[in-house]
Amino acid sequence: MALVPLHAVFRGDFIGLLVPVDDRDTMDVVAQKVAYHVIHRRLPPQDAPMRVQYNGSVLPRDQTVGQAGMSPMTFVEVFYDASEHNNAGMDSGSYSRRPLGR
Amino acid sequence: MTDGQVLPQRLYEGTVTMPKLERSEWYDLCRDMNWCFKYVTDAEVFPEALSQSHGIPASAWWSWDEPYKISYREYVDNQAEKDAGVYSVRSAMARSRFFENLDPGWKAAIIAHYGAITMPEYLASIGEARMGRFGRAAAWRNMALYGTLDETRHGQIQLSFPHALLKKEPRFDWAHKAMHTNEWGVIALRHIFDDMFTANDAVSTAIQLTFTFETGFTNLQFLGMAADAMETGDVEFGTLISSIQTDEARHAQQGEPTLRVLIQNGKKAEAQRLVDAMFWRSWRMFALLTGLSMDYYTPLVHRSMSFKEFMLEWIIKQFTDQFRDLGLERPWYWDLFIQELDWLHHAYHLGVWFWRPTVWWNPDAGVSVAEREWLEAKYPGWHDRFGTYWQTIAENLRQGAIPLTYPETLPVVCNMCQIPVCSSTILAPPRLLTHGGRVYSFCSDPCKWIFEQNPTRYAGHLSIVDRFLAGHIQPPDLEGALAYMGLSPGERGVDATSYAWAFEQAPQAAAVAS
Repeated sequence: MALVPLHAVFRGDFIGLLVPVDDRDTMDVVAQKVAYHVIHRRLPPQDAPMRVQYNGSVLPRDQTVGQAGMSPMTFVEVFYDASEHNNAGMDSGSYSRRPLGR
Repeated sequence: MTDGQVLPQRLYEGTVTMPKLERSEWYDLCRDMNWCFKYVTDAEVFPEALSQSHGIPASAWWSWDEPYKISYREYVDNQAEKDAGVYSVRSAMARSRFFENLDPGWKAAIIAHYGAITMPEYLASIGEARMGRFGRAAAWRNMALYGTLDETRHGQIQLSFPHALLKKEPRFDWAHKAMHTNEWGVIALRHIFDDMFTANDAVSTAIQLTFTFETGFTNLQFLGMAADAMETGDVEFGTLISSIQTDEARHAQQGEPTLRVLIQNGKKAEAQRLVDAMFWRSWRMFALLTGLSMDYYTPLVHRSMSFKEFMLEWIIKQFTDQFRDLGLERPWYWDLFIQELDWLHHAYHLGVWFWRPTVWWNPDAGVSVAEREWLEAKYPGWHDRFGTYWQTIAENLRQGAIPLTYPETLPVVCNMCQIPVCSSTILAPPRLLTHGGRVYSFCSDPCKWIFEQNPTRYAGHLSIVDRFLAGHIQPPDLEGALAYMGLSPGERGVDATSYAWAFEQAPQAAAVAS
């Protein structure tokens, strides 16, 4: 278990973010952690699953940070994948609008 | 008693007048104390690290000249007169309630200005003093002496004015405090200003500070700001800025003759590189400070032109003319720069507002219905690019979801400009560079290119994010970062109008919320 701070963007947002993840986090979790700082704050949710793109490739949703070989400040892009709109799995509906503390 | 004995007395009494020479008959002779050294070498008098001759022989620098040609006595007289005028306005305004009546957005603009600019004015006196000692021509050193005194005056006067307003707004003390903190914008300012003048050689300072930054950007910016201040009713700030601008216009003249010497001696490529590097750096800082002030903080009714229009009409036209006159080319990234005029400062503004606790002023969102219409008219496509973010934010405010309008992490910043990495649409992967085993990330190709020109100059610097990752910021969260930046809870920025702009669009929701 190790903390890996990523340089992350959510497609459609305007700024790169420092998002700490765990090396055992799957890409689904990474996507959620990045979305937490963007969706409902600057971008509206979409009814589509989120995916993680790294080094030009979209990573499998169950692949972990460690398996993907990510290191501190690795750049990842998270995006809604409309092509998987009807597929099972995480979608914006599962991304709850949590009350957030400052 | 002979005539010879009484003459001094009569001169003293003013009953005898000596014939005066025309200025042109004595000025250059008195000023240009250039000579060839016999007992020391040029390198001992003008060490390259401080002077940077670019291999141009000493005598070739002696053609350096400037158009103002004032004497020290005239300089002191002029400056005393300027100070008398400015301080009398301040005294008069101190008895009024002008500050209380200023627009909240304009207050944001001047509080940001004082924090960002005041102490760097003092620091600029170091750069001027370096030219005053290590400039290669006496004419240049003479001009730089005035520049040293100018910048000291600008530091003093811009401390005095906000000091008088402390009782009305405690954060005016950031005029002095800012540069002593690790606030992220201040880190960015220190990085560029150290590069430009605090830690720069004389020749590069003349080209990068006085030609690129002052002639190219701030001289015109001060004219624009003074006009905006007067329009807004801030006579005090307008008078102050106008007075400073008259000094800038004079000492900024050091750059052009320095460039001419370089170009005439076959060093055009070096001159071009110095201009290109600092034009880009200045543009980014200018977009951050002036872009926000002109397009979001200045009250709509008082905006004479948009930031982009100002850039096109003043900065770009002037630089294009000067590049042509001097035989220089436009910087290699010119097309990218022109594209950024449409979006960069809008992205910076959104970032500053969203991360508002990290700045020492209260950012004015500046996106009321009328302001959005103005932005769309001035920047066609603004709504699709940026208005949608503001809609989401406004909806959160109307529903009372205030925490969603605040950040919970840091943005990634560029290892050159130290400003958050922004984009108008989809972000390209960051430009990465490995140097000395460390990976550096940059917001743009020009920022990466500047680093590559002299990696050892920049390699040791840690950005605010690097410091966070290195454990310098404790506790390692946003609250720890705010404390590291020197921002106590009472100093952190909040929305300038208490979100009035968001409720303007939905009066029913506003009534429910209240």
